[in-house]
Amino acid sequence: MNDYQTHVFTSTYTADVSGVCSAMYELGGMTVLHDPSGCNSTYSTHDEPRWFDGKSLMFVSGLDEMTAVLGDDQVLIRDIADAAEDFHPRFITLCGGSIPHVIAFDYKGCARLIEDGCGVPVLPVKTDGMKSYVSGVGRALTEFIRKFADPKEQEEGKKSLSVNLLGVTPLDFSINGNAEALRESFEEAGIRVNCCAAMGETFEGLSHIYRGSVNVVVSSAGRRPARYMERTAGIPRVEGLPVGAFAEETLIREVRSAYLDRKNRMIWDESDSSDEKTDFSVEDLEGGFSGENALTIPEGQILILGEEVYAKSLAMAVNHLPESLREGKKAYAFFPDIDEGIPEAVLIPQVRSCSVLISDPLYRVVMKPGQNTRFAAMPHEAYSGRIYRDSMRKFVGKSFDVEEFLRSAE
Amino acid sequence: MADGCARSRLAERNRAFHERGTDAKAFEYIGDMDYEYNADIGLAYASPVRGVWNIVHIGTLVPGGHQIYVCPTSCLRGVVLTTAEMGRMDKLSTITVGEDNIIEGNMEEQLLHGTERIIRELPERPRMIMIFTSCVHHFLAVNYKRVYRILQKEFPDIDFVDCYMDPIMRRTAPVVPSLWRQMHRVLRPGQEKSSKQVNYIGNCFHYSSKYCDLTALLEENGIRVLEANHVRDYDEFLNMGKSSVNFYFHKTGERAVKDLQIRLEQPYFWLRPGYSYEEYEEDLSKAAEILGISAPTSDFFEREREKTEMEIERTKSALGDVPIAVDYTAVDQPLELSLFLLQHGFHVESCYQDVFTEGEEIFQKLQREKPDLKIYGVYGWNIRGIERTHEGKIVAIGQKAAYFNGTPYFVNIVENAGSYGTDGMYGYRGLRRLMVLLREAAEEPKPMKQLVQFKGWGCDLR
Repeated sequence: MNDYQTHVFTSTYTADVSGVCSAMYELGGMTVLHDPSGCNSTYSTHDEPRWFDGKSLMFVSGLDEMTAVLGDDQVLIRDIADAAEDFHPRFITLCGGSIPHVIAFDYKGCARLIEDGCGVPVLPVKTDGMKSYVSGVGRALTEFIRKFADPKEQEEGKKSLSVNLLGVTPLDFSINGNAEALRESFEEAGIRVNCCAAMGETFEGLSHIYRGSVNVVVSSAGRRPARYMERTAGIPRVEGLPVGAFAEETLIREVRSAYLDRKNRMIWDESDSSDEKTDFSVEDLEGGFSGENALTIPEGQILILGEEVYAKSLAMAVNHLPESLREGKKAYAFFPDIDEGIPEAVLIPQVRSCSVLISDPLYRVVMKPGQNTRFAAMPHEAYSGRIYRDSMRKFVGKSFDVEEFLRSAE
Repeated sequence: MADGCARSRLAERNRAFHERGTDAKAFEYIGDMDYEYNADIGLAYASPVRGVWNIVHIGTLVPGGHQIYVCPTSCLRGVVLTTAEMGRMDKLSTITVGEDNIIEGNMEEQLLHGTERIIRELPERPRMIMIFTSCVHHFLAVNYKRVYRILQKEFPDIDFVDCYMDPIMRRTAPVVPSLWRQMHRVLRPGQEKSSKQVNYIGNCFHYSSKYCDLTALLEENGIRVLEANHVRDYDEFLNMGKSSVNFYFHKTGERAVKDLQIRLEQPYFWLRPGYSYEEYEEDLSKAAEILGISAPTSDFFEREREKTEMEIERTKSALGDVPIAVDYTAVDQPLELSLFLLQHGFHVESCYQDVFTEGEEIFQKLQREKPDLKIYGVYGWNIRGIERTHEGKIVAIGQKAAYFNGTPYFVNIVENAGSYGTDGMYGYRGLRRLMVLLREAAEEPKPMKQLVQFKGWGCDLR
């Protein structure tokens, strides 16, 4: 049987519920996680670097067995109304874990009832605690845009070039200046940042997101809202992250082009040819249900393991370096699946056959003792949480020296 | 029947809390409260204070043991990173519950297959495996017992233990007492008992004779103490089955000792973790009687009282009128400690606890003697709204009281202990140690932000 579920010694990416909380953190709302307990302390301990000093509102419903068995949604509705009366949040986000999922909790219906009861807008974000944060961030941002933003504003947005940065949370960018560097990359090129969804952003800023003319998907979590905005207002999207000077230059160029021809782009080359392919999903390597079509990453190369847009952008930046600087090797991106994460059966052969591994330090456990592979650490909050928070890299912008980073592998 | 009554009382209490829900604020004066108070009602808040041990820390105590958590990603994340932070990923593996497991109904196969694979791939064969199933397993009626029977046949050299991480059951079967019971399930019945060996059950920390009156008494009488946190290896852990008595200090150990009495016929005795000299003396004398050893003399007790009173007086002089806040993560009976301190002239201002763990008489005394004692619930939503500062200096006993008052002056202990120099505290010795810690806390500020976020304070398995 397919066994992506068993992890003998590796960690796990954080779940969709943490993604929702992280995306909504700075927007002045109140997020309620419908779940017995535990998800909230996991989020506040490992996934939310702003929690200790902040006052953002995030609570768990404390679902118990009787309430779940009886399907008594009134308990939740009343509890949320009580808290809303005390805190007067600008809006409420409702998401949940696996138990609401198996008892078919009606997110939309309850959101409507809460909204009617306490007069505060409610965003129903249907999560199940089983998918990765990428799904949660994407869904939460999309619901926010659906509820509070007006697609008609795109008419104004089209008139001049400005960008929306989609998928920005501490889970992918930490709080060490990466989010600020993202803005700088565009502003220094003379491109206005209309909105950054959702770090350093306000409720008002995000609600006018349709005033931006190009969506920049800087992490895979930004893909869902970008697609939604393309559907509702025809806004083109560019996928890519300015990891170093070359990636930044490419991204700016692609954004300008997308503004002119309104076509979607990405900063890396996508190739279906197995000889040229430099990015691999879990599905690519598993080869479908039967495994017959499984692809393989060539041995002895540079493996970049992590979030999709980051990994692909960095692979592109590394491959742009002169061959001599990368010892004739090529960089390959390998990124997790929203449902399966990275199954150990797929992960182990890749890690054990590469010559340079660029990943979160927790992946080092996969390397064999004495394995002759060099390692460059790129801590990722969505994977190792707060463990390496103090040594998070600032990898965004032209100041990130890809060559030096590659040389630091040991 | 008993369960039914408990549920009915719970429902009644919950209704009452909901009725006054919107009026509830971050704290109430004890004079205005009911003894039936419980903050676990309504939306819940998780503070960044993480010193209290969770089930992963406790499970990691068993030498040669391995934990497997079977649950959706959202629940797994916390246990995995708890272990990763300790640098002990070799003690834990996971089996994720995915959407396909729910749809296909193959949770049993997944559990069996996953566990087999983990055993096969672990570099060292564990002696014991604790398999934690979760809330979702209850709802899908998973027959995990059948899987454990198969595993036990397949791997007879490994002890498999069914454990639970199911916070949905927290009101009727809380996870920590359940784990203490389950992890001692491997102790074999039918063994001859040794009158020279006893167990402490339910302690995260070692209770040495330094700060524990009972251990001192046992040592004087040549009686050896075994506890999960202080055994050399798995064989010594199993050796706990030969002990003549199980003592416990924390109520979280109660389910375990009751289970051991039924299965192993080991009698148990609770050392009340309060602040009454009479109770200390009664309990020590009773423990001595159970073991057939001489109880401490009244002269001994008299000297202990005097020494303790002197220590308290020194502490009172050092603190003067500086207010004190006490929380439930530091001591088992914060209200009783508050009353004790007030009766000794200290200025106790507030107490942080979600439920009253003391007898009603303590609560009533405080209502009479200090009706303006502030009781803060730390679980409810209201606490998120408070300003985490205090006008003027305040000394906190416990991490949560420190965080919510924003004070660097605090006694950094959890569960009546704190490792790093403070073993478990019980009785006169424990009380004297607490006074020393209180004086130190008032004199020396600590890096509160850094210390209170440390997960599982004092868990020395790193």
